[in-house]
Amino acid sequence: MLPSYLTMAAILFCIGLYGALVKRNAVVVLLSLELMLNAVNLNLIAFSKYGVVPSLTGQIFSLFTITVAAAEAAIGVAILIALFRMRGTVNVDEFDKMRR
Amino acid sequence: MSILNDIPILSFILFSPLLGVIVLLALPQHRSNWLKKTVVIATLIPLILSFWLYAEYDKQQGGAAFDERQSWAEIPLNKETQAAGLSEFKFAFQYELGVDGLSIPLLLLTTLVSAMASLAAIQVKKRWKSFFIWFLLLEMGILGVFLARDLFLFFILFEVTLIAMYFLIGIWGYFNRERAANQFLIYNGIGSAIMLTAFVILVNTAGFRIDQIGDQVSFIYSGSYMDIFSNLSNPEAWVNLAPEQIGTINPFLMSDTMQWTLFIMLLVAFGIKLPIFPFHTWMLKVHTEAPTSIVMIHSGLLLKMGAYGLLRFGLLLFPEQARAFAIPLAVFGVINLLYGALLALRQQELKLVLAYSSISHMGIVLIGLAAMNELGLQGAVFQLVSHGLVSALLFLIVGSIYERTGTTELGELGGLARSMPFISGVLLTAGLASLGLPGLSGFVGEFLSLLGLFETQRWLTAAAVLGIILTAVYMLRAVLKITFGPQRDDYAALKDARLIEAVPMIVLLAFILLLGCFPSVLTDTVQLGMDGLLDQLLATRAGG
Amino acid sequence: MDKWTQTAWLIPLFPLTAFLILTALGRSYRRAGVIIGSLGSLGAFAYSLFILVDRLANSPLDYNKSFEWLAIGSYSLRIGFEITNLTSLMLSVVAFISFLVQLYSAGYMKNDERITVFYGYVSLFTFSMLGLVLSDNLLSLYIFWELVGVCSFLLIGFWFTLPKARAAAKKAFIVTRIGDVGLLLAILLLFWYMPEHALDFTTIQSVFDGQSGAITNGITTLIALLIFVGAIGKSGQFPLHVWLPDAMEGPTPISALIHAATMVAAGVFLIARTFDIFQDSAAAMETIAYVGGFTAIFAATVALAQNDLKRILAYSTVSQLGYMMMALGLGSLTGGIFHLITHAFFKALLFLGAGSVIHAVHTQNINEMGGLSSKMRVTTWTFAIGALALSGIPPFSGFWSKDVILAVAWDTNPLLFVIGLATAFITALYMSRLFILVFRGRPSAASAGANESPAVMTLPLIVLAVFAAASGFIETPWNGWFGKWLTDGPEEVHASGVAIVGSVAVGLLGLYIGWLVYGKKRLSLAARQEKKPWFVNMLERGWYIDELYIALFVKPLKLLSSMLLAFDTHVVGGVVRFAGAAVSTAGRTAARLQNGQAQTYGLAAIIGFVIIVVAIVGRRFLP
Repeated sequence: MLPSYLTMAAILFCIGLYGALVKRNAVVVLLSLELMLNAVNLNLIAFSKYGVVPSLTGQIFSLFTITVAAAEAAIGVAILIALFRMRGTVNVDEFDKMRR
Repeated sequence: MSILNDIPILSFILFSPLLGVIVLLALPQHRSNWLKKTVVIATLIPLILSFWLYAEYDKQQGGAAFDERQSWAEIPLNKETQAAGLSEFKFAFQYELGVDGLSIPLLLLTTLVSAMASLAAIQVKKRWKSFFIWFLLLEMGILGVFLARDLFLFFILFEVTLIAMYFLIGIWGYFNRERAANQFLIYNGIGSAIMLTAFVILVNTAGFRIDQIGDQVSFIYSGSYMDIFSNLSNPEAWVNLAPEQIGTINPFLMSDTMQWTLFIMLLVAFGIKLPIFPFHTWMLKVHTEAPTSIVMIHSGLLLKMGAYGLLRFGLLLFPEQARAFAIPLAVFGVINLLYGALLALRQQELKLVLAYSSISHMGIVLIGLAAMNELGLQGAVFQLVSHGLVSALLFLIVGSIYERTGTTELGELGGLARSMPFISGVLLTAGLASLGLPGLSGFVGEFLSLLGLFETQRWLTAAAVLGIILTAVYMLRAVLKITFGPQRDDYAALKDARLIEAVPMIVLLAFILLLGCFPSVLTDTVQLGMDGLLDQLLATRAGG
Repeated sequence: MDKWTQTAWLIPLFPLTAFLILTALGRSYRRAGVIIGSLGSLGAFAYSLFILVDRLANSPLDYNKSFEWLAIGSYSLRIGFEITNLTSLMLSVVAFISFLVQLYSAGYMKNDERITVFYGYVSLFTFSMLGLVLSDNLLSLYIFWELVGVCSFLLIGFWFTLPKARAAAKKAFIVTRIGDVGLLLAILLLFWYMPEHALDFTTIQSVFDGQSGAITNGITTLIALLIFVGAIGKSGQFPLHVWLPDAMEGPTPISALIHAATMVAAGVFLIARTFDIFQDSAAAMETIAYVGGFTAIFAATVALAQNDLKRILAYSTVSQLGYMMMALGLGSLTGGIFHLITHAFFKALLFLGAGSVIHAVHTQNINEMGGLSSKMRVTTWTFAIGALALSGIPPFSGFWSKDVILAVAWDTNPLLFVIGLATAFITALYMSRLFILVFRGRPSAASAGANESPAVMTLPLIVLAVFAAASGFIETPWNGWFGKWLTDGPEEVHASGVAIVGSVAVGLLGLYIGWLVYGKKRLSLAARQEKKPWFVNMLERGWYIDELYIALFVKPLKLLSSMLLAFDTHVVGGVVRFAGAAVSTAGRTAARLQNGQAQTYGLAAIIGFVIIVVAIVGRRFLP
């Protein structure tokens, strides 16, 4: 069973990574990040059930991750809104303040 | 004595500038009088302590009583421990301080010159508070370099001086200060990088030792200088065991090639600081751009760190290589001596004359080191101390002259002896000390170095002696141009030295005279400390 | 009796104390300066006189005592003092002349605002010179040797605002330093070759005197020649004589004390002190004799054409020092030291007399003087005694000492005898020229208002004149007492009729011709014509030695230095700049990657990650 879960998580992660690196819309980038986090959660749960040493720790840990992800999404969206108010766009190409 | 023995005097000396920093941080920026008093007191404390130390050391005939050793940064290598079934396997860096005949004169020199420089420093014109803080950190770094007996500690304190100097030059320097600061940082950064590499290799090979207490076996990569020193000189230590001797691969073995590589790396790393001939350009800018008190420290102390490092890590750790390299070292010394002197001859800027003269004088240090005998090494150490005092004094005077006339161009100065007889007199005396007049400190170092080198390298010594003539030529040219000759009208009203300037001048001059007339004050102490350390270096020479 | 000798180290402390007090005083307390300075050397003189008298009366053994100055490992450098007949004599002469000069300066320097400083320097010089004389080994001698050099430098540059004084001071220091380097090398050689690394004169004497073979012949010659190089520098011998005439920029009492009577004789003293080394090497002795002889005649010819009163005397000093060197080179220690002593008296006298003249007429050009004899009687008479002594006219002291030298030369080296005679002739000639132009003839504009100098200046003149006249009788052709006392050897009597007759004859001839040319103006010499012939020009410029040195050494050195400077800025500095430029170019290129797009950074990170993973995983597939 384990390989199929892992494959599933890997596909999910790659989709998320692709979206985070390629999409122009900042909201979509945020969504993609969530996808990647969920892929990680999937891995954690899969290992906790079918791993070499099964234990409950993995599942508990995934709960932490979901909580943190929620918080992170909230902050991310808040920053996005602030940026949108300032710049009038959510296009990530135009966010190049880091350059200087 | 016994009570005092328990006090960690070396740590006191090392951290008393830091104490000053803390007080300074607590004081508000506008209380400039308090700030100034603090910085002067913070430099006086280590001065007094190191005087006491110097006196005690003489009586004791050995500095072991002062050594301090605390375990400090340990990095356990757990995986290896389990794999090998050992009780312990770790990197161990100690907080280890110690003094011996080589470092104690330089320690005293540091505290003395710093105290004198602090008197010059309180005339700084802007942002006193941060200036004093960096100043004290710089002093702490230099003290640490001479005190540290652990490679890691040494390196960290060495870097502290670098950073402090960077800001001191970059913020409080003259017109081209930022360029000078950058050049200083980059050049010395390269030196530090090479030094760090060499240190890492040293810790991983020569620093390796096995401790066995009962059935507790620990493998330790030690950063302690004494461990490395004794391992390198002990044929039974792991670092020297060839695979044939133990029948297995020895990862700690240091091959001949490796020893040579390390020796050359250390030579370059400290040679940049010294500076040895092609690496000298960075210090010209520093000499011209840094503020008075900082140049005093730079020329008087920082260059000494290079020579000290070269002697302690280069020559003492690798005596065989040092011996084989004696001739090139002497050649470098003679080149430094003549090259610096010839270039000083053409400079139109007093500070540059002095900068090149520093290069020239460091050549004498190299000559003394290259002699590889007691006379030469004593001469080198003596020259270090003497040059520290003399160049600090010279730059102090340069600062005073610049403050009054607004220039250090030789072409624009002249006849200052008329309006400023005291400063001119001190300048002339310092110049004479610099050119090696007997009775002043410069002579002894020069004479001993040459005497030492003459035993082995007749012709090189004869060439070096030419440098003595050139030194007289450029020194007199510069000093006489400034003090003698017709006076410019607008210099007629210049005031002679104020008390705050005169005090450091007189103190430095007194020490120059003292060392010149009674050199045994210094050499006896150096001799005490050298006996153990130098056996290796001298024995290999005699044996080979 | 021993207490004086054993505490002889106190002698230099008198002037040293004076120096320290005077330095502390600064420019104030002008009268105190004079008194303290003079008392310092008077004390030293009194002390050394006790010792000298003691030695004359009892001729006790030499006494020396030294302490360890520096101990390094198994090596030890010592400093100490030694009293021998030679040193006790030199001590008295130095302190005596120093005292007289300081007395004289009270008048000569009266109006100088830095008179206290002047006395301080003179005291320091006296200290150093006495220390030099007392030294019992080469190292401490070298230390004081350098110190007297510095005092000389300070005093030449005493009027420091004058560019000429500055240049002269610098030149004196540097040129003598070239010589000092020779001495330093000699010390280095001796240190490593002597048994036990001893540098003291007693050991040197026993090592070289006994022909122990501890040191090979070649090395002995080398050491001797290097010591001689030091002596050449200090004693103004050819080719390092160039600083001495220029040194006349200093105050005249200084010229008398340092650059005529005492310091410049240090070279001769040094060779006398290390005479055993020289006696071991025939080559070195010959070199000294010929260099001395050449210097003697060379400087005398130059003196003939000078117009500056003090420069004439300076070249004359160079010439007379050449005489002393020649004597030493010919093996006559007695002759060299004897001439040193008499020369100290009469040359100090001449310089102080010249100072008295300059003080009165405010010029140094002898063509602007004249007719002073009626206005300055004491100066004239004492100067005349000095001039006669220098010209070697009996019974004045110069005759006797010159006679010893010439007699030795007659016995051993005819060529040098001829040179010596010729020099004696030229000496008499230029002295008569000098004397006649300055004191005889019609009073010139400059000398119209001249008056005799005050008593404080004429008193030293009279005292010195007495010594210049009488001091020759300690060693005469029929009485070798001085030589016996000095060298502790057998009494040698150099009665040589040829030498006596010859030297008297050329001396008188020289005076006579001088009188004819300058007094009677019977013969018109080139100097009086409108256009000077080339050789007069050449003599006036001192055979163009200065110009030669500038072309040979100074210019090439400057050129070399400029070339090195270009090398330093362009090549050494260029490499550094290149390294800096390379780093910043690399940085700028790399900076392009930074476009501010978080996504690009992420992509780069992913690519890097993939590469690492591939590298780690891929390694498994490799053999």
